[in-house]
Amino acid sequence: MATEQQSKSLWQHAWETLLRDKMAVVAMIIIFVYMAMAVLSATGIIVSDWAAEVGPSYGAPSLDHWFGLDMFGRSVLAKTIKGTEVAISVGFIASLLSLVIGVTLGSIAGYFGGRVDEFIVWFYTTFTSIPNIMLLVAITFISGKGLKAVILALGLTGWVSLCRLIRGEVIRHKDREYVHAASAIGGGNYRKLVKHILPNVTHIMIISFSLQFQIAIKSEVILSYLGLGVQGRPSWGIMIDDAKLELARGVWWQLGAATFAMALVVLAFNILGDALRDALDPKLKGK
Amino acid sequence: MNLYVYTLRRLLYIIPVLLGVCAIVFFLFSVVSPDPTLIMLGKHASVQQMEELRRELGLDRPWFIQYLDIVKSAFTFDFGRSWSTKQEILTMIKQGAIPSLTLSLPAFILSFVISITISLFVAFYRGKILDKIAIFGCVSMMSISSLAYILFGQWFFGYKLGLFEISGYEYGFPDFVPYVILPGIIWIILGLGPDVRFYRTILLDEIYQDYVRTARAKGLGESLILFKHVLKNAMIPIITYLIIAIPFLILGALLLESFFSIPGLGAMTLNAVNASDFPVIKAMTILTSVAYIIFSVITDICYTLVDPRVRLK
Amino acid sequence: MRILIILAALLGFSCTKKIDLNEKVLNLSVTAEIKGMDPIYANDMYSSNEVARVYEGLLQYHYLKRPYTLVPNLADKMPTVSKDGLTYTFKIKKGVLFHDDAAFHGGIGRELVAADFVYSIKRLADPKLQSLGWWLLQGKLLGLDDWRKKYAEKDKVDYTEAVAGVKALDKYTLQFKLKKSFPQFLYALAMPFTYAVSKEVVAKYGKEFLNHPVGTGAFILPVFTQSNKIIYIKNPKFRDKYYPTDVSEEFNTPYYLADAGKKLPLVEKVVVNIMKEQQPRWLNFGKGRIDVIGIPKDNFEAAVTPDRSLTDDMAKKGITLIKNVALDVTYIAFNHDDPLFKNIYLRRAMSLAYDPHAFNKLFNNDLAMVAQSLVPPGISGYMPSYTNPYVGPKVEEGKKMLAKAGYENGVGLPEIIYDTSSATVNRQMGEFFKKQMAKIGIKIKVVTNPWPQLQEKITKRKVQVFGIAWGADYPDAENFLQLLYGPNRAPGANGSGYDNPEFNRLFEVSSLMQDSPERTALYEKMYRIAAEQVPWIFGVHRQNFILRHGFLKNYVASDFDQGSAQYLNIDLKKKAEILKKL
Repeated sequence: MATEQQSKSLWQHAWETLLRDKMAVVAMIIIFVYMAMAVLSATGIIVSDWAAEVGPSYGAPSLDHWFGLDMFGRSVLAKTIKGTEVAISVGFIASLLSLVIGVTLGSIAGYFGGRVDEFIVWFYTTFTSIPNIMLLVAITFISGKGLKAVILALGLTGWVSLCRLIRGEVIRHKDREYVHAASAIGGGNYRKLVKHILPNVTHIMIISFSLQFQIAIKSEVILSYLGLGVQGRPSWGIMIDDAKLELARGVWWQLGAATFAMALVVLAFNILGDALRDALDPKLKGK
Repeated sequence: MNLYVYTLRRLLYIIPVLLGVCAIVFFLFSVVSPDPTLIMLGKHASVQQMEELRRELGLDRPWFIQYLDIVKSAFTFDFGRSWSTKQEILTMIKQGAIPSLTLSLPAFILSFVISITISLFVAFYRGKILDKIAIFGCVSMMSISSLAYILFGQWFFGYKLGLFEISGYEYGFPDFVPYVILPGIIWIILGLGPDVRFYRTILLDEIYQDYVRTARAKGLGESLILFKHVLKNAMIPIITYLIIAIPFLILGALLLESFFSIPGLGAMTLNAVNASDFPVIKAMTILTSVAYIIFSVITDICYTLVDPRVRLK
Repeated sequence: MRILIILAALLGFSCTKKIDLNEKVLNLSVTAEIKGMDPIYANDMYSSNEVARVYEGLLQYHYLKRPYTLVPNLADKMPTVSKDGLTYTFKIKKGVLFHDDAAFHGGIGRELVAADFVYSIKRLADPKLQSLGWWLLQGKLLGLDDWRKKYAEKDKVDYTEAVAGVKALDKYTLQFKLKKSFPQFLYALAMPFTYAVSKEVVAKYGKEFLNHPVGTGAFILPVFTQSNKIIYIKNPKFRDKYYPTDVSEEFNTPYYLADAGKKLPLVEKVVVNIMKEQQPRWLNFGKGRIDVIGIPKDNFEAAVTPDRSLTDDMAKKGITLIKNVALDVTYIAFNHDDPLFKNIYLRRAMSLAYDPHAFNKLFNNDLAMVAQSLVPPGISGYMPSYTNPYVGPKVEEGKKMLAKAGYENGVGLPEIIYDTSSATVNRQMGEFFKKQMAKIGIKIKVVTNPWPQLQEKITKRKVQVFGIAWGADYPDAENFLQLLYGPNRAPGANGSGYDNPEFNRLFEVSSLMQDSPERTALYEKMYRIAAEQVPWIFGVHRQNFILRHGFLKNYVASDFDQGSAQYLNIDLKKKAEILKKL
C-alpha cells in the first residue's frame, strides 16, 4: 500500500510540474486542437467537402482561401485539416502498436529472464541491426498499400528502444521488496507483472509514446515520397510530394501549409515529451 | 568475468545475430516478395521466358539453399548481379561508396564539431534564456520535414542566389567539393537538433555529479570545469553515440543523394526500391547490418575497457 | 539558420564550377537510370538512346525528313527485296571500323563485316541471355525460333550453327529470310536491339560486356559506370558520314542547313546528366548547364505564354521553343477478364463521363490532342475527321448509359480500383479520374504502385482499370493496333486482355500487307471498332514542348532520337554571350 500512496503523489506532483511549464501547456493545447480536428474531420463534421473545386487551379492565397488552392482548385486549408486525420491516426495507432509490442516483449524478457530473455534480446538485437528504412520499405511492399500498411510498418519498426528500456526497468524492479511481498501473499506471475511492476514503468511508456508519435508523423512523409504512403486521401506527405513539382513555378503554399501544420504538431510533441521527461523521470528531476 | 572471455563471448554473439538478420532478409525479400521474373522481363514477357529466367536465377531451388546463399553473401560480400541494371552489386557498392563518403564524412565530422560547440555553449548557460532559445530552436528545426529543407534549399540557395551547384557530382578532389556543399549543409541542419539535445543532456548529467561540486568548491572557474572535467567524462557516451552512427553513413543520405543527383549508395538504394531490385536491397540491408553489428561490438568492448563495471551487467 | 548564412557567405564565392568554353561539349539530360550499354537490353527509350550513341544499325531514320523516312546507315543502300517480300538482301558499307579496344588484335578496331550482324541477331535470340528485344523478331525469321528453342535446353549455345533466316553471303552481303510477310521488318533494323556488336568484345568481357560498349558509332564511351553522368568522346576514326543536304521543307532554314555537308560528328564531347527530379533539371537548364529540356508540366507558365509562344523572359535569354506531336496515346484500360467490364454500356458510360479536355488542361497545359481512338496523328490509320461518340464529357448521356448498363446512379456497382504507378503526376491523374467518375455516381479507389509492381499486377490480371500510355516503337499503326489484338494478351503487350474476333481477323489480314491504300482502309476499320467498342477510355496524344538554348545548333525534336547527337552542334561564341545573361 505504501507504494500505491507514493506513486499517486508522484503522479500528482508530475502533473503540477507540467502545469507550471507554460510551454508544455501550450503544447498540450496544440495537440488537443489537432486531435479535435482529426476527430471532427473523421466524423465528417468539418471539411467533408475538401475535394470540392472552389476556385481556379493553383489559385494563390487570398482572403477567401487563406492557404491558396491546389492543382484541382481545391482548398489547401481544407486539405491540410483533412491531413490531420491521417497524421493523427498514423501517429496514434502506430505508436500504440509499438507500445504494446515493446512493453509485452520487454516485460516478458525482463521478468522471466533465462532462455526467454536471451531469445527476445537476440530478436531485438537482430532487428535493430537492420536499417529502419529497409524494414519500412519491405513491410509496405508486402502488406500492400494504404493507411493500414503505413501504420503497420511504422508500428512494427518502432518498438525496439522501448522494449529495451522496459526490460531494464523490469529487471530492476522485480527484486524489489514490494514484488517479493506480492509473491508472499500468493500473487501469480501475471498479477505481479501487471499489477505491481508495470505501474512503476508507466512514465517510460508515456514518454516513449509521445516521442514515437512524432517520429511516425515524420516518417509518413518519407513513405509518401517513396510512393508507399497513404492512398486516396490528403496527407501532409502527399502534399509535400506534390510540392516538389510545384515549387519551381512559384506555388509555395501547399509546401508551406503542410510543412507548417506538420512542424507545429511535431514541435508540440517534442516539447511535451521533454516536459514529461522532466516531470516524470525521477532520475532527471531537479535539473 | 575476465575481459578476454567477455570479448570472445561478445564476438561469438555476432554469429546468431547475423543468422537472424539473414533470416529476416530472406523472409522479407525472398519468401513473401513478388515474382521477380516479371519485373525483369518487362512488357513483352512470355511464360516460357519467365521459366527460363527462374532457372537462370536459381529460384527453382529449395528454400534452404536460397537461404544459405544469403548467409554466404553476408560473409563473402558476393551479392550477385542487380536485376535492373545487370551490374555486379559489389562493384556498384564500391563505386557508390566514394560519392557517399565524400558527402557524409565531412558532413558527419562538421556536424559533430558544430553540435558539440553549441551544446557546450548552452550547457554553460543552462537554465538561462539563451539555453531555452537554443533548445527551442533545435526542436523547431527537428520538426520540419527533411524534404522541405531540400526543396527550399535547392531552389533558394542553388537557383535564386546561385551560391551552389544545383545538383550533380564529379569524381576526385577537389572537383566534388562544389557539389556536396549544399547537401552537406542540409545534412548538418537536419542533424543539429537531435545532436545538440543529446549532447546537452549528457553534459548536464555530468555537471550535476559530485566531482563537479567538489571542483567548484575548490574555486575552479566554471568554464574550466566544463571543458576540462565535464567534457572529458562526457566523452564516453558521446563517442559511443558517434561510433554507433557510423554504420548508417554507409547507407548515405537517401533523399539528399537522390535530390542532388549524387551517385552514392543512398541514391542506389532508392533506385533499387523504386525498381523492386531485391538483390540490391538485400545487399544494402545485409551490408549495413553487418557494419552495425561489428561497430556495436567495438563500442561494447571499448566501453568495457574504459568502465569495467559494464561487464558485470 | 545563422550558421547557414555565415557558411554560405564564407563559401559562396567559390562554390559553383566554371563552364569550359574552349571545347564543344553537348550537355544533355535524361530522367531515368540507364540500364547498361548492351543493345539487347535497351528496351526503354533512355537506354536505347544511350546505346545508339556508340552502336549503329543497318538503317536509321533520316535526321531532317518528315514523315519519318528510313535511310541506310551501316547498309550501303536500301536492301533489295524479293518479289514475294520474304527475302531481304543488304550490302553493307566497306571500311567501317569498330572502336579501338583491347579485345581486338593489337587493340585496334577491326572492320565491320556482314557476319557481325548475323552474330548480333543470334545474340538477340540467345535463350541464355534473356534479351528484352526478342519479341521484335519472334516468329519472324526462318529457323531462328527453332535455334533458340533447341539451345534453351542445352548448357551452351552454339552460334556457329547456321540459321536459314539470317546469313552472310560474303564479307559484305547479308541476307534475311522471313517466315511470313512482315512489312515492319525494316523498322526493326533501325531499332537498337538489332545494332551490330562484335563477338570478340562480347567474348572478352563476358557479363561485363554491358559496361564496355564497343561499336562503330560517332562517339566512344571507354567504360560505362552506373553514375550520375555519362561522358562520350568523339570517335576520331569515324567513317565519312556527312550532315544531310536533302531535307524536308520545314527544315529548309539556315538554322538547320549551316552545317549541311559537313563531316559528322560536330561536337567533341557529349555529357549526359542523369537527373530524376524535376526541380534540379529545370533549375540547371535555367543556368545553362543543360542545353535542351522538355518542359515539365509545372514549369510551363514560366516558359510559355497562354497563346503558346515563349515568354519574354525566356526569349531574352535566347531560348527557343520547339513543339512536336508525339506518336503516342494515353489511356485508361479496362481489364476485360473482369466480368464487370464485359458490359459494354458500363464501359461507354465511364468513357462518356470522363473529360479528356479537362485532363488536357490540367496535365498537358491544353496542348495535347484529345484521342478519339488509339492511333495517333502522323501515321496512316489515323482518321482526322472522325469523332468518337463516346468521348466525354457528356455527363447526362453517361448517366443514361449507366442506367442502361443496369447501375442507375451507380447503385449496385462495387467500388472500382484504379491502379497506377507511384510517380506524383500519375497519382494526380488517378485523383482526376476518381473525380470524373464521381459525376455519374461511380466510386473509384486509386491505388499507386512502384512501376514494376504495376507491371506485375497487369500481367497477372490483378487489376480492374489502370492508367497507362504507349509510345511508338516504329511509325506504323500496327504498333498501336497490336495493343488490342487478342492473342497478344498479357504477358504480351495487350495489357487489357481485349479480345474481339472481328478485330483480330482484320489485324491478322493487315499485318501481312505492305503499306497501301487497302491496308490503310483496314487500319481505319480497326480504328473505328476500337473507338466504338470502348476497350479503353481514350486519353490524349501528347505534344512535346521543348526548350533549347540559343547556342545549341541543329536540334530537331523526334520520336526516334537514336543517334541524333552526331548532328548537333554548339556555337561557343554565342554560348559565352548567353551564359552572361543567365
